[in-house]
Amino acid sequence: MKSVHHPELSIRIGKMELKNPVIVASGTFGYGQEFENFMDLSQLGAIIPKGISLNPMQGNPPPRIFETNGGILNSIGLQNPGLQVFIKEKLPYLKKIKTNLIINFFGKTQAEYVELARRLDSLDGISGLEMNISCPNVKQGGIIFGSDSKMTYRLVSEVKKSIRRPLIVKLSPNVTDITVIARSAEEGGADAVSLINTFKAMAINIHTKKPELGNVTGGLSGPAIKPIALRMVWEVSRAVKIPVIGMGGIMKAEDAIEFMLAGASAIQIGTANLIRPMTGIEVINGIKKYLIQTKMDQIQSLIGFFKA
Amino acid sequence: MALQTDGIVLNNRKIKSIYFLLEIDCPAIANEAKPGQFVMISTSDNHHPLLRRPFSIYKSYSTLHPSKEKRGQLSILYKKVGKGTQKMSTFKEGQKVNLIGPLGNGFILPPLPSPAATILIGGGVGMASLSALGEALCSEKIYVFIGGKTKDDILCEDDFPKGKVFIATEDGSLGKKGTVVDLFLSEIERFDRGRPHHVYICGPEGMVKSLSKALKSKKWIIQVSLEARMGCGFGACWGCVVKTRDTEMAYRRVCKDGPVFPLSEIVWESS
Repeated sequence: MKSVHHPELSIRIGKMELKNPVIVASGTFGYGQEFENFMDLSQLGAIIPKGISLNPMQGNPPPRIFETNGGILNSIGLQNPGLQVFIKEKLPYLKKIKTNLIINFFGKTQAEYVELARRLDSLDGISGLEMNISCPNVKQGGIIFGSDSKMTYRLVSEVKKSIRRPLIVKLSPNVTDITVIARSAEEGGADAVSLINTFKAMAINIHTKKPELGNVTGGLSGPAIKPIALRMVWEVSRAVKIPVIGMGGIMKAEDAIEFMLAGASAIQIGTANLIRPMTGIEVINGIKKYLIQTKMDQIQSLIGFFKA
Repeated sequence: MALQTDGIVLNNRKIKSIYFLLEIDCPAIANEAKPGQFVMISTSDNHHPLLRRPFSIYKSYSTLHPSKEKRGQLSILYKKVGKGTQKMSTFKEGQKVNLIGPLGNGFILPPLPSPAATILIGGGVGMASLSALGEALCSEKIYVFIGGKTKDDILCEDDFPKGKVFIATEDGSLGKKGTVVDLFLSEIERFDRGRPHHVYICGPEGMVKSLSKALKSKKWIIQVSLEARMGCGFGACWGCVVKTRDTEMAYRRVCKDGPVFPLSEIVWESS
């Protein structure tokens, strides 16, 4: 019988080589440094810091977070210090971590997306870009682009033309058919798609008769959304040829393996980072253990193993 | 430095009505904790509830503490109000509990020696962090104002041997009838003279807001410890923000930039 002790965990996304398929998701991992006490950051496959806009953004009024059954509603509203401060105060630390750094970004207009992408592309120490066209919490968070297939195609092709680094397009589940948007991103030249962003959702306090979030609606994440996220990843991975990065409620290695069986080439961990900061490392170890136990010598064999 | 670690429950008991005291053996956090800091406690292994819950550190004893039995202990004073604290109230002696801490900035202690008074004003479980502060104070003139709806909501009244303690209850069942803010204002003449006093506040939002209004004209050094719904507790998610007078970034994180802020920095939004 074949024995496997050191399964190969590395995967490729476009020109990016990741030492393992575990990525920490934008908006749930701060700017990396917040997690340095809890883990060796360089063990992660890639780090995606909190999304960046050209100019600083204030974010939404509090309360910004509310727990529901098995999930979290958030309406942070893409608060961030803008590109200049990011480059000056956050990037130097992130660049030093020995793993892939993928920058999540968004804009108000197509021109702003293109300008920001070009400026980010010119920076040293960045492996790739993740374009957010899917934040449900702010009108300018790209959702207007991400819910229309023609606009997605146009935006992706314009951005792609002006950069050299790999481009991942982050998709919203708040659309009629996510495979249509995914195909538009692929046709526009995206190197990969990542999905899903949060579901637009809300909660009302029956005692105060007011919404639980200052912004009224927010995005739902966490284990509650995992089965829907998994279904969407499965559908998209059959609809496009580019790599699919799966996310949505991954709390442990078993969840990550499910997404990979459904067709994800890599996965992102979001909400779980807030609860167990070193979830990413635990997932990497769990995947390795699973491969050894099931006698698979490389993670590649897992990707899309499930065929209906 | 904040870290994630397991502690062992030493004791978990009701102290009155819906208030509980949880004592944990957790030397790693107890050694580092400062007054005004907090921990995030995981109340469940199966994601119900999902998020950790933030609690002020009530008492902490370093591993060098003179009392051998207390070394490495940490305690939390909590009110059973929701799903998380409900779960916590079932914690049994010997059980493992997962914590992240110590978190946040903590109170800045008054300089010594100081002819000014040190005034602590709090309500409900807000008294936990003020009690921790009281323990660390070396000041001479300490005044403590404690409030609650009824006598069952008055906590930590015996924790301040060095201070003069004033109590107010809204129903008059203990101390003076009325709010703690009213009680404090009725005694404020005591503090009219002298240097800028050091005031520390921790309690329900209504209390903090009325104190903010009442103390606006005073040139005192006032620190407030804020409560907020938190996602992570260590600065990653930006879920627990409060509006401040900071011109570059108005919304600041209660967990990382606080929970203690100068009172004058906070902008109270109408709700």
